[in-house]
Amino acid sequence: MEELILELKEQIIEVLNLEELTPEDIDPKAPLFGAGGLGLDSIDALELIVLLEKRYGIRLASAAEGKSIFTSVENIAQYVSQNRKK
Amino acid sequence: MGNKDGASIAITGSGIVCALGTDKESVQKSLLENRTGIGELRYLKSQHKELPVGEVKMSDAELRHALAVAAEEEVSRTALLGAYALRQALEDARLSPQSLKGRRVTLISGTTVGGTEATEQYSCGNNTQAIARMVGIDCELSTISTACSSALNAIILGTRMLLCGETDIVLAGGTEALSLFHLNGFNSLMILDHDVCRPFDATRQGLNLGEGAAYLVLQRTPDAHLQGSNIQAYITGWGNRCDAFHQTATSENGKGAFMAMTEALQMAHLRPEEIDYVNAHGTGTPDNDTSESTALRRVFTENMPPVSSTKSLTGHTTSASGSIEAVICLIAMQSRFIPANYGWSTGTPDCITPVSKTTQKELHHVLCNSFGFGGNDSSLVISDKESPFDDVPQKDYILTGENEITQEEELKELREYISPMESRRMCKVMKAAFLTSLRAIQKAGISKPDAIIVATQYGMLENGGKILNTIHEQGEEGISPTLFMQSTHNTLAGALAIHLGCHGYNITYSQGKESLQWALRDAQRLIREGKASSVLVGLHNHVPPTFKVVLDQQGITEQYEIYSKSIIIKSAL
Repeated sequence: MEELILELKEQIIEVLNLEELTPEDIDPKAPLFGAGGLGLDSIDALELIVLLEKRYGIRLASAAEGKSIFTSVENIAQYVSQNRKK
Repeated sequence: MGNKDGASIAITGSGIVCALGTDKESVQKSLLENRTGIGELRYLKSQHKELPVGEVKMSDAELRHALAVAAEEEVSRTALLGAYALRQALEDARLSPQSLKGRRVTLISGTTVGGTEATEQYSCGNNTQAIARMVGIDCELSTISTACSSALNAIILGTRMLLCGETDIVLAGGTEALSLFHLNGFNSLMILDHDVCRPFDATRQGLNLGEGAAYLVLQRTPDAHLQGSNIQAYITGWGNRCDAFHQTATSENGKGAFMAMTEALQMAHLRPEEIDYVNAHGTGTPDNDTSESTALRRVFTENMPPVSSTKSLTGHTTSASGSIEAVICLIAMQSRFIPANYGWSTGTPDCITPVSKTTQKELHHVLCNSFGFGGNDSSLVISDKESPFDDVPQKDYILTGENEITQEEELKELREYISPMESRRMCKVMKAAFLTSLRAIQKAGISKPDAIIVATQYGMLENGGKILNTIHEQGEEGISPTLFMQSTHNTLAGALAIHLGCHGYNITYSQGKESLQWALRDAQRLIREGKASSVLVGLHNHVPPTFKVVLDQQGITEQYEIYSKSIIIKSAL
């Protein structure tokens, strides 16, 4: 799981162009969206949906479904490990 | 030059091609029978058979044949559709290409994707040129690219040019063919409904894309009378405002839409209760319909006129939708009926209740809404009686704040103006546009401009090119939504408006080397009209290295890979 969490952090930094951040800067338990976390927005959520599909073969039906998954890096890792097709 | 003779603007011809039919008569028939043109993909070669679309029921070959265009001539479907509709409009106005010779004629076309399936070959301006060539007219050309409100903005520009006496006959509208580019792009935003869309319905899931073209022939009323033209209706008001909220989403209170509708009504000297019908933008996305409903309720309060969206009949024809829906309004006025909001069945508190059946009604004043990415919101009032526009006194202007950049190296200085978090999604041309714009504002000593006008030859080609590469290399999967929502030419003007909180007039020109001239002319016109006292004008170009190779092959030299220049035009006190 640790490995997957690191991989996800690196992917998130890359696809969301968070150039100023390193994986250590992202707390795996911290919220990704809204205040008190990374401050991502709805466009980032769509990019994360593309990321899940491209890298792990997971296809989400709607943006709303993403909301419950993208709460924290840890939560995404959990979901990916249970649902990944590749 | 002020408003010429306190004139009103007459519509003397119109032409249309869309999923509902290939001319005005067939479109009228489909509208009256409330029969949708949306169905399974037939002409576009895409894997997305699950996505219903509103295609024009003619192949490229049939369009070429109808227009007598040789098979070997390279021309986009977007231009073919445009020429097909424009030719009808001219015939309708009884104007032959021959009869236009030696007269001051301006063709203004709105397009965005414009054959982006091969952006390397076609730019927006080239499409307009190709349309004029196919129809056989040699006239002044302008291309507006404000995403889904492009065509309505083209009609507005034409109206203003006529009022200012800059031209005598305007052919204005827009065209857009379906493409893998925007079908997959919209799909990446997850706003495409997998069934026929249901604008304003509680169960709506998004939009269906459509395609088509429509053009109006516009003339000053006295000229139209002199020529013995058949006047179909009059343009009596317009509004162009910017939501300045988000690149693709709409603000909850529908600020831009509210301001555009209010401006249009004021210009037409109409009270809200005098509007007989509103053709809504109504895309069918949860966001748009809620926000537009809020704006409509703010404008009309307890006097809500009949409203319908015709996008569940035509599909969302993106850049062409403004003129397609203006012609639908015209058809409705001429045949005295309100087109139905096809597919609507279930009401919801967050939306207005649209007209769900085709209804007979005398229509005197109609409001047509057209909104686009970048928050480019426009409204048009069409009336059955003439109502002269207010006379506008001439105002002088001064240029200030001018600055330019020609080197990528200079983009680092953007850090002085905006945070890394804000610039993280910006491509080079966006960074350049922000840098020169913010410098110009600083140099001119203003806090923000009243209006923003952008000229760009190649738009957001860096992003568009990446999307095309993805499609080329990986097929129709994995398109980046960030890149898509920043692929339209008006991305720059929209992003500047958001950053500056500027809700005023906002437009983007893409007419090759003439783009900047068009932008400057418009800024001067706005000052003269008293619509703005300061206008930010910029020319922003980026020629990515891969594209430069293509230009070199065509013998086109671009001195700089990156070029940006901004100026503030202020009214002289």
